[in-house]
Amino acid sequence: MDKQQFSKVLVANRGEIAVRIIQGLKEMGIATVAVYSEVDRTALHTIMADEAVFIGPAPAAESYLVQEKILDAARLTGAQAIHPGYGFLSENGAFCRAVEEAGLVFIGPTAESMEVMGDKLSSRRRMRAAGVPVVPGTDEAVTDPDVAVKIADEIGYPVLLKASAGGGGKGMRVVHEAGEMASALRQTMGEAGASFGNDAIFVEKYIENPKHIEVQVLGDGTGNAVHVFERECSVQRRHQKVIEESPSPSLTPALREEICAAAVQTAASIDYRGAGTVEFILGPGGEFFFLEMNTRLQVEHPVTEMVSGCDLVRAMVMIAQGEGIIYKQEDLQQRGWALEFRLYAEDPSRDFAPSIGRIEAMTLPQGPGVRLDTGVYEGFDVPIHYDPMLAKLIVWAETRELAIARSRRVLEEFTLHGPTHNLPFHLWVLDQPAFQDGSYTTAFVGEEFDKNDWLPELGQEQMQALIGAASLFEALRRGDNREARGFDCPNAAPNWRLNAKRRMTRNR
Amino acid sequence: MMKKSYVLHVDGQEHHTVVASGDDQTLVQIGDGPLTDLDNWPVQGGKAFSLRVGNRMHLVHLTGMDSKGNVMATINGRPVPLQVMDELKAQALASLGSAAGNGTIAADIPGLVVEVKVGVGQVVHQGEPVIVVEAMKMQNELCASVGGTVTSIPVAAGQTVNPGDPLVIIDPEPGG
Repeated sequence: MDKQQFSKVLVANRGEIAVRIIQGLKEMGIATVAVYSEVDRTALHTIMADEAVFIGPAPAAESYLVQEKILDAARLTGAQAIHPGYGFLSENGAFCRAVEEAGLVFIGPTAESMEVMGDKLSSRRRMRAAGVPVVPGTDEAVTDPDVAVKIADEIGYPVLLKASAGGGGKGMRVVHEAGEMASALRQTMGEAGASFGNDAIFVEKYIENPKHIEVQVLGDGTGNAVHVFERECSVQRRHQKVIEESPSPSLTPALREEICAAAVQTAASIDYRGAGTVEFILGPGGEFFFLEMNTRLQVEHPVTEMVSGCDLVRAMVMIAQGEGIIYKQEDLQQRGWALEFRLYAEDPSRDFAPSIGRIEAMTLPQGPGVRLDTGVYEGFDVPIHYDPMLAKLIVWAETRELAIARSRRVLEEFTLHGPTHNLPFHLWVLDQPAFQDGSYTTAFVGEEFDKNDWLPELGQEQMQALIGAASLFEALRRGDNREARGFDCPNAAPNWRLNAKRRMTRNR
Repeated sequence: MMKKSYVLHVDGQEHHTVVASGDDQTLVQIGDGPLTDLDNWPVQGGKAFSLRVGNRMHLVHLTGMDSKGNVMATINGRPVPLQVMDELKAQALASLGSAAGNGTIAADIPGLVVEVKVGVGQVVHQGEPVIVVEAMKMQNELCASVGGTVTSIPVAAGQTVNPGDPLVIIDPEPGG
């Protein structure tokens, strides 16, 4: 790979990940270009970047997903490379090729890697050939229920029917006995065809209540790869991760070594380039299987950065500049424990339905061991068009027990006022025995969380403070201004001014 | 001193308070308790009150959501929706509400109307889905809060709506 120093890089994303990448680039002395849609004119990434290019209306399909607009923005500003972040165009092989055809560098893997790993059947075949354990099952698409039953008899029920092109919990169905097979296969094929335009289905053994373990890897594109240890992401709701940690409480040193070696093998076998994540499921008996590889920087990459001290964005940029992997395997270590809490604007009591609006006030937690990655700020209107994740709170301490204690302190310190959010949910998780002892699986939230009975009752003093404050609030709001949102308008509060005057005098 | 009474609803519980404001101080009475100086101060640019209950200072953020007294409060990091209005207004609203019932389905989050499932004149049952609003790639089905006849649909598919906007208005059936 030719060496090329970038002087300017375009970040084809928004929100917290665009901010994270811009921060990394700035630290490297590289000029940054943001792209923004109609509703992101005032977004943090737009304001932070050295240059910002407008790319169209709010819907992602008309802005962040339009390849030509991103390429035009790069040409316009003279950026030499594009970092795609996660989501949007990050795992789109056609975009990766278009970037390279435009004479620019794509900061990430090759289109071939994305395509091999984007298709579950082809990735299973490749991994089996490379000697990486895959879940027992078929490597070919199945359309005949009799064939599916025969395979299921061999590997044992329950089995999982899975769409080869699926993802995000869609296009999957568990089959417990032969009698269910025909209709389950028909339905899954129909669903897969409609959702992914590809009805290829395969059969694999269903691992009940697994743990989700993933390994961070870095590859140089010529068959060399290192791992930066594992993350455990088993706290999920609606098939989406909400809390991640590193190390995993479920791995022994021997198992860790084995699973990390399998991840390196995975990356090396496809000449992987850049940062990637190899996902495994871990069964109750310590058996683990390759699930898929995410060919991008992950949302939860900060927990790895906190325990390893690595800068994964910098590592990606250096690989893209042709300078190889900046970390040697023998130098990489895990130190302490990190937990990441995804802060969503959503209401846990209403099945985690999104809840949006203006961030009226935000008091950030600080002190030892805290990192906050966010794309929002006080006064920002959270747009309805994108992912409702507001921030990621990452907490580090020397041990898991100390990290949990610190997390509780930090979550309690965090005030976010405006949209309903899931900070109280995170505190609930910290109190659960299954989380505290590390035995939780991906079924944990579904089994333990009761949306009608999870919030601790407000204490008597808290309730009095709330009622008192709300009464004062109503008393101070301008009576004739029905639109008044708060009591901060100048003519709203003669009472407190008088109050304030008296206090000032008294305190003097 | 000028005294005014308030009615609050928090977590399904009703509370009564009195706020007495004079030239140099403001006192609050909660329930049957005494009129108390809560040592209240507006902080954070007028977005929150700090106030003392017992020996502890609490920070309470407050934002008005609409003209019906709905307020979003945050205390100790926890969002708590509540309703507060002065007693006269509460009484007026209560008498209106019991006479008519409330057949208005309103948007609870900003979003895009994806589908209107009913038409004007249609009879709907309580709990029947009437409209679908999409926000952040999630479709939310809103259901009839009462049974009755749809009298008006002030929105159409493709339209953006804000919290509190009426979407479907139902004339409640007696006993429905």
